[in-house]
Amino acid sequence: MAPWGVPGDRHKGRFMPLTIQRSDDDRVVTITISGRFDFDLHQEFRQAFEHAEDEEASYVIDLAQAEYMDSSALGMLLLLRERAGGDRADISIVNCSPAINKILTISNFHKLFKVA
Amino acid sequence: MADGNTPQPNPDTPSSVGATRVLIADDDHVNRLILRAILAKEGYAVEVAEDGREAVARFTEWQPDLVLMDVMMPVLDGYEATREIKALAGDAFVPVIFLTALSDEAALARCVAVGGDDFLTKPYSRVILKAKIDALERVRRLHVTLRQQRDELAGHQRRLLQEHQVAEKVLAKIVHSGSLDASQIKYLLSPMAIFNGDMLLAARKPSGGLHVMLGDFTGHGLSAAIGTVPVADIFYGMTDKGFSIGDILATINDKLRVILPTDVFFAAVLLELDANHTKLTIWNGGIPDVAIRRVDGRVESLPSDHLPLGVIENEQLDRAVRVVEVEAGDRIVAFSDGFIEAHNPEGEMFGLERLVATLASEADPDSMFDGLLRTLGDFVGEGALGDDLSLVEITCDPAWAQARSSEAPRAFHPRAPMRWSISIELVPDTLRSVDPLPLVMHLLMDLQGLQEHREQLYAVLMELFSNALDHGLLGLDSALKQTPEGFVRYYELRKQRLAELDHGRVRISLDHEPDGKGGSLRFTVVDDGPGFDHSRVFAPLEENVSFFGRGIPLLKSICEHLEYTGSGNQVEAVYRWGNNEAGADSATHD
Repeated sequence: MAPWGVPGDRHKGRFMPLTIQRSDDDRVVTITISGRFDFDLHQEFRQAFEHAEDEEASYVIDLAQAEYMDSSALGMLLLLRERAGGDRADISIVNCSPAINKILTISNFHKLFKVA
Repeated sequence: MADGNTPQPNPDTPSSVGATRVLIADDDHVNRLILRAILAKEGYAVEVAEDGREAVARFTEWQPDLVLMDVMMPVLDGYEATREIKALAGDAFVPVIFLTALSDEAALARCVAVGGDDFLTKPYSRVILKAKIDALERVRRLHVTLRQQRDELAGHQRRLLQEHQVAEKVLAKIVHSGSLDASQIKYLLSPMAIFNGDMLLAARKPSGGLHVMLGDFTGHGLSAAIGTVPVADIFYGMTDKGFSIGDILATINDKLRVILPTDVFFAAVLLELDANHTKLTIWNGGIPDVAIRRVDGRVESLPSDHLPLGVIENEQLDRAVRVVEVEAGDRIVAFSDGFIEAHNPEGEMFGLERLVATLASEADPDSMFDGLLRTLGDFVGEGALGDDLSLVEITCDPAWAQARSSEAPRAFHPRAPMRWSISIELVPDTLRSVDPLPLVMHLLMDLQGLQEHREQLYAVLMELFSNALDHGLLGLDSALKQTPEGFVRYYELRKQRLAELDHGRVRISLDHEPDGKGGSLRFTVVDDGPGFDHSRVFAPLEENVSFFGRGIPLLKSICEHLEYTGSGNQVEAVYRWGNNEAGADSATHD
C-alpha cells in the first residue's frame, strides 16, 4: 500500500481526519475517516477521488475511527458513487459504529453501498 | 531643513494612500529636528508636538498613523499621553514607539504597560528607526484590513439576516399555505426552518382525507431553502388534483433529480389519511421512524424503508407504501433527526428508544406533544436545543374529517352543460403503473368545471374502479379488511396479485348529458373478471355483509342511479348536478 497525495500527508499520524491509500495494483482505494465525518471534510473528501483517473477502481470507506456522520457526509458518499460509475460503482462502507449504522439505515444507503 | 518641507514619497515606504503620517512628541528641539529630518527624507509625513498635552491635541486633529513618544516631557509625560492617545484611538491600532535613553527595566516595562508598542533608544539609528516604523506600519495596515473585513462581514451578516427574514416570510407563504392550522395537527418548526431545509406541509385531499409531508433537505441556507418551493408546489398542486402520495413523491423525486446537485437530497415522509381516518398510508425515505401512539397507549414505530428523494432516477424509485389501520384517537408522530441526535452535556444522544418511551409514558395523550418537548429540553439542558427540530402530531378524528367536508366550497363555476363522453381502458401494464383516477378527474374538471362536485365524483370513481380492480380482477375479498391482520394481508395480497396479473382489463366510461341548468353524468365501469352475485346488492345491509367494503351505501347516497348488470362485472352509476334535485346532493348553489 502506498500513501497517496493529500494535503497533510506529511503529518502522518492519528490526527489526520482523512487518509487515502491505493492498493499496489491501483484497483482498491481505501479512504479512512477519523473523528467527525461532516461538511468540514468536504474539500479533502472530494480531492480523494477527483484526481482518480480510473473509474474502475473499487472504494472502501473505513469508518472505524469516525465518531459521527451528518447528512452532508451522506451527500459526499453520493458524489463518490457518481464519480465511481453510478450504478456500477463498487463502494464498501466498513467498520461503522452503531450510531453511524443507524444514520445509514434511516437513509437506506445500504441500497446503494455495501455496508459492513 | 524647514518644518514645512513637503516630503517626497519613498518607493520603499509601504503606502497606498499617501505617505505614512508620523507624529513626533519630544520636548527637545534638537531631537525633533533630527527625527524630522530623518523621517522626511524617508518619505514620511511628519508633525511635531513639544509636550504630552500638545501630542494628544495634534493626535486628535491630524490623526497620525504612528507616534514617536518621548518619555520625560513637561505638562504631560509620555506615559500619560500614550494612555490618552490609545484611549482616543479606540479599536483602531495606532502604534506608539517610545523614544528613550532609559535602560531601567521597570521604566521600559511601564512603557509597555501604558500601551507602548516598541522602544527606540538614543542615539537614533536611521536604519533601525526606519525598520521599526515599517514593521509597525505593516502590522497597522494588517490591522486596518482586518477591521474592514470584520466590519464588512458584520454588515454582510446583518444584510443576510434581514434578507433571510424577508425570504422566510415569502417562502413561508408558499410553503406553509396548507392545512397546518387544522385543530387535529400539532407541530413545531423552528422560525428559520426553511433555511435549515426543514419543511412540513399538510393539505386536504379532494376526497376528504389528508396529506402530510415532513421533509429535510441536506445542508443549510439558501441551497436548502430553494428546493422547498418546487416541493411545496408539487405537493399542494397534486394533492388538490387528487393524486396519491405515490404519484406525488415520484414527481418530487423527478424534479429534485433535475434541480439538485448530486450531494444534496431530500429526506421525506409522506402520510395519507383517508376520509374516515381509518387507513394510514405511509412512504418514508430517510426520516426517522414515524411513531403511532394507539388509543390504548401502545406505541408502534414505522421505520424508513426507502432512499431519500432526489438520489436515484424515477425508474429505480420504489413507490411501495405501507398501509396501517388506524382508529379515532390514534396519534401519528413524525419528527426530524434533530430529535434523535440531540445531545446532553455528557455527549449522549436522545435516541429513538428514549423518544418512543417518552411517547408511551405520557398518561394523557393530549399532553404527549408538550411532554416530549419538555423531556427533550430537560435532557439536553437549558437553552441547548438546536434549531433543527421539526415535529408533527396528527390525531385521527373521523368527526373532524366529516366536519371539514361541510366547509364552504371554493368559488368554482361549472361550465355550461355539454354533451360528451370519454372512455379509457386499462390492461395489466397500465394498471400497475398508472393511477387513472387523477387523470379522469382532471379531464372532468377541464371539460365541465365540476370543482364543487369533486369530492363526490372522486368517491364514486374510486369505489367503482377499486371494486373492478380489487374484487373483479384481483379476486380480493373485502371481508379480509375486518381485522387488523387481514387489513395488512389485504394490501400485501393486492400488491402481489397486481404484480402477477398477466391478463384482464378495466374500462371506465363517462357520458355526460346536459339537463336543464345542470347535467347527468353516467359512469360505466366494466372488468373482465368472473363477476359476483349482484342479486342481493340492494338487500338491507345486515343481510349482505359480504359486500361490506364495496362502498355501496356510499355510492347509493351520492348517485341517483346504481345498477349492476351482466355477471356482476359491469356497473353503471348516474350522478346529477345543477338542478337541486334528489341525488345531486347539496353541493350546487344556483
